[in-house]
Amino acid sequence: MSAPLALGVLAGAVLSGTSLLYATLGETIVERGGIVNLGLEGILLVGASVGFALAASTGSAWLGLVGAALAGGLANLLFGWLVVSRKANQLASGLAMMFFGIGVSALVGGPFVGAVIKGLPKWRPSFLAALPWVKATTLFNYDILIWLAVPVALLVWWALFKTRWGLGLRAVGESPAAAFAAGRDPSVIQYQGLFAGGVLGGLAGAHLSLSLTLTWAEGMTAGRGFIAIALVIFSKWHPLRAIVGALVFGGAEALQLELQARGADVSPFLLDMIPYVLTLLVLLAWGGARRLAAPAGLGRTFYGSD
Amino acid sequence: MSKKLGFVSLLVLLFCLAAAPWLAADAPKLIIGAIYVGSVNDYGYNRSFHDALLTVEKSLPGVKLLEAENVPESAEAERVMEGMIQQGAKLIFATSFGHQEPAFNVAKRHPDVYFEHAGGWMMAPNFGNYFGNTQAAWYPMGVAAGKMTKTNKLGFVIGIPIGFAVGNVNAFELGARSVNPNATTTVVVTGGWSDKAKEAAAANALLDQGCDVLAMHVDSPATVIQTAEARGAMSIGFQSIEARVLAPKGWITGLGFNWAPYFTEIAKSVIAGTFKPSSTHLGLGEGMVVMAPFGPSVPPSVRSIVTEAADRIAKGFNPFTGPITDNTGVVQIKAGESWGGDKMGDFKWYVQGVIGKVQ
Repeated sequence: MSAPLALGVLAGAVLSGTSLLYATLGETIVERGGIVNLGLEGILLVGASVGFALAASTGSAWLGLVGAALAGGLANLLFGWLVVSRKANQLASGLAMMFFGIGVSALVGGPFVGAVIKGLPKWRPSFLAALPWVKATTLFNYDILIWLAVPVALLVWWALFKTRWGLGLRAVGESPAAAFAAGRDPSVIQYQGLFAGGVLGGLAGAHLSLSLTLTWAEGMTAGRGFIAIALVIFSKWHPLRAIVGALVFGGAEALQLELQARGADVSPFLLDMIPYVLTLLVLLAWGGARRLAAPAGLGRTFYGSD
Repeated sequence: MSKKLGFVSLLVLLFCLAAAPWLAADAPKLIIGAIYVGSVNDYGYNRSFHDALLTVEKSLPGVKLLEAENVPESAEAERVMEGMIQQGAKLIFATSFGHQEPAFNVAKRHPDVYFEHAGGWMMAPNFGNYFGNTQAAWYPMGVAAGKMTKTNKLGFVIGIPIGFAVGNVNAFELGARSVNPNATTTVVVTGGWSDKAKEAAAANALLDQGCDVLAMHVDSPATVIQTAEARGAMSIGFQSIEARVLAPKGWITGLGFNWAPYFTEIAKSVIAGTFKPSSTHLGLGEGMVVMAPFGPSVPPSVRSIVTEAADRIAKGFNPFTGPITDNTGVVQIKAGESWGGDKMGDFKWYVQGVIGKVQ
């Protein structure tokens, strides 16, 4: 039985959107603290390869998941050492981190190319599995990362906007000098934000290798880290809007493949452009918005009060 | 590309270090260098060459092998090959399509070193090319899929719709129709040879549409096969027949390459000093393209029909014999005509029964 187009696109959007959402949430936290990490693509790759390597060598996808999260966090701490402690340029350091991540992930994942792993277990509530439209698709047959994606977005929203820590992080992102004057230590807060963001980035990569594809291949994230950085702008640095953004962009990719699978009489090359055309349209639509909501101190280096 | 530089240089260095003691101990008769665009553990394209060269190394006494993985398709490849020649390599296998020009440049500088390139067309006194004729071999794969499908919907994931890939799809559908007139093949193009997440999404989209057999033409079949297996669908592999371990339940059969006999002949000719460059394209009949063992779910009646179709292909039956109509109703190959090996890269249309558009 074949599913209607909207359901098919939704099913695909959830699968491809999950890693985008985790990556976007991670980058949102980091940018709320005033730091741009262009190395997100590298963080994703490190998460994907470390997760896969651990899952392949220990036989446990759960260990892979934990390892990927820690590896992502550690990689972001390294980035923090460059841009927070050493006050290096954020854009240049971010690009360097990307290449570093590509290299490290190739090295870590190299011996495990072609390994066969048991991926993250999937669970589908039985009352949903009985519905015929659901049965014909991947809908609701999800691993833990997909089930937790929206709760995690809510958690990030809560942490950023409802806690004292979040207030401090946002204050550092807007004006590190003011936060410093108010008795907060900007560098400590930024390190915390970077670690949390790296953990989410590592999970984003792990979802690709441990659940979606069950393989590791060099450069397998194929630019998803950069799409996530664009999604941060799309969602105006807000974790809940990031859910919409990730679904829309995941859906654009799914639509392109769904239309082909349905035999739509359109050139595959045209369909391949859908996500990018969508990006352009979003930028055009957002271009006129008066308030972009970017943290005022984004990308600026705080040299302290001395 | 610079991401790979460090890694590649490291690999070459390691291979050089490893090769040094042998050179001192007893000089080998022939040192073979091989460069791969990816990892040899990909259950796919690169693995097929690696396996063949290991066979050559074992079966011919005095042959030593130097390998480099993840060699980019750029001038960097020239440096890797130069390094191998400095280590004494007299025969170089450049295995990726994009290694053709770098290998040709190195060949011009070293007329005493012999080169064999996979899938290209360039030739020189010390430079030959070869490839497997996969298109006709896809015909029996289609026969197998057409017999095994219950929904009459077959799915085919391809990276980029180049003529070779389109021809593979066409032969697949022609084979399927020969045993099951209701069988259709739906094509989904991912836009790259190795975008794993999109391959998974493409496979899912096809399965959502009710396809119950998936085939693929991408660098590594692993993701498509595992996605199908996880959802209880069947699969037909491509590039390396070892991929069958990924689908213990749903594996039907698959195509792989066996370069070992050809490589052995080439290595012997270099040792004997009789190397002659050629452009060799062999298929199922000559054993350069081989069929994988059947999966456990394939009943004996289907096995015999598929084997019989493969035998016909091996004996020279050309599935691209007219009249053949494309999927818009236009006759592309007239009655009495047939498309031979020289037209294999020219497919710009899908045959009747394929759901998809080339461009």
